[in-house]
Amino acid sequence: MLKQEAIDILGAGRGEAISVATMQSAAPWYLSGQGKNLHVDASGCMGSASSLGLGLAMGKPGRKVIVLDGDGSLLMQLGSLVTAGSFGLKNYYHFVFANGAYESSGNQTVPGQGVFDFCALAKASGYRNAFAFEDAAAFKAGLAKVLEAEGPVMINLTIARDEAKPRWPGVKMSGQVAALKEQLAALA
Amino acid sequence: MNDITAAAPPAPVAVAEAISGEAIAREIADMGVTHVITVPDTNLKTAIAALEKAQRVKMLYVCTEDEGMGINAGLYMAGLKPMMLIQNNGLYACINTLKAIALDAQVPTFMLIGQYGRDVTKTVEENRLRSVRLLEPTLETWGVPSFRLEHKTDIGNIRLAWQKAWEIVGPTAAIIGAPTS
Repeated sequence: MLKQEAIDILGAGRGEAISVATMQSAAPWYLSGQGKNLHVDASGCMGSASSLGLGLAMGKPGRKVIVLDGDGSLLMQLGSLVTAGSFGLKNYYHFVFANGAYESSGNQTVPGQGVFDFCALAKASGYRNAFAFEDAAAFKAGLAKVLEAEGPVMINLTIARDEAKPRWPGVKMSGQVAALKEQLAALA
Repeated sequence: MNDITAAAPPAPVAVAEAISGEAIAREIADMGVTHVITVPDTNLKTAIAALEKAQRVKMLYVCTEDEGMGINAGLYMAGLKPMMLIQNNGLYACINTLKAIALDAQVPTFMLIGQYGRDVTKTVEENRLRSVRLLEPTLETWGVPSFRLEHKTDIGNIRLAWQKAWEIVGPTAAIIGAPTS
């Protein structure tokens, strides 16, 4: 599926979940309006989206947290799967936009492309559920079931490589952190 | 006849003394810390054991210090008061995340750091290991305020470093000079 298709489907089904996005999912998520509320990017710290999401999910157990990760990013901190599995947070949903490439730096192929299996790795690390979607129609049809499943949940999305110029949200993470903290305090 | 019996060399005098792990754990809990996120440090093992035993803060064991920084930030945004407990080598391992999350994203990130490998009979500056010698210069390079705990009477520096992190909305470090007792 196309990245924008996945973004649109996830945005439509997000509900009141807190979101964390990183790398090349961050700009389209922001531009589609999803970055305005209950959101933070993991920027300048490739691989940290999952751990930011874990802290939020632990701190706000009554609210779903969705992480929009990348395959290259997750590979950079693969141990975070074990940490997430050991925490066992029921409200943690880990979406991986898997295009098999380092899109931001010129679409170089990630190590182990076609060899590793994030769903299998996640399950073996203690995630309660794992789903894989290769096309937009199946993802659209299956998202509600995904978000009803008990976390930690891994969702591997097979995304077509995008040759367009990399985009960045152009917002500072410090402002997002302060805003999200305020928004969550107001909800308490 | 001259007495040729050589006097035994004096025992090395410790420059840094052991601080009680229980005292450190008590101080951490009294400060209002909610979560201690750790990749454990050998020098702080009695402090970790005391934190576990007291059960006044939640202990989170993570795979890497990078993860610790992210989880610390997530808990902070959720309104909690976490801190990190790591060793000097762990600080070196997570410099990029320190830069992006603690500094650039402005997240209070208090780190209790053990000086793993420190020869306590020598000053930090005289130590052979660069992991010991370069900890403070590294923190200084990144503009991270740090506080030494070389003696039992320095216990209050933990609280000073904690308060500083919240005051500057960024990272600070309290550095434990010797293995805790």
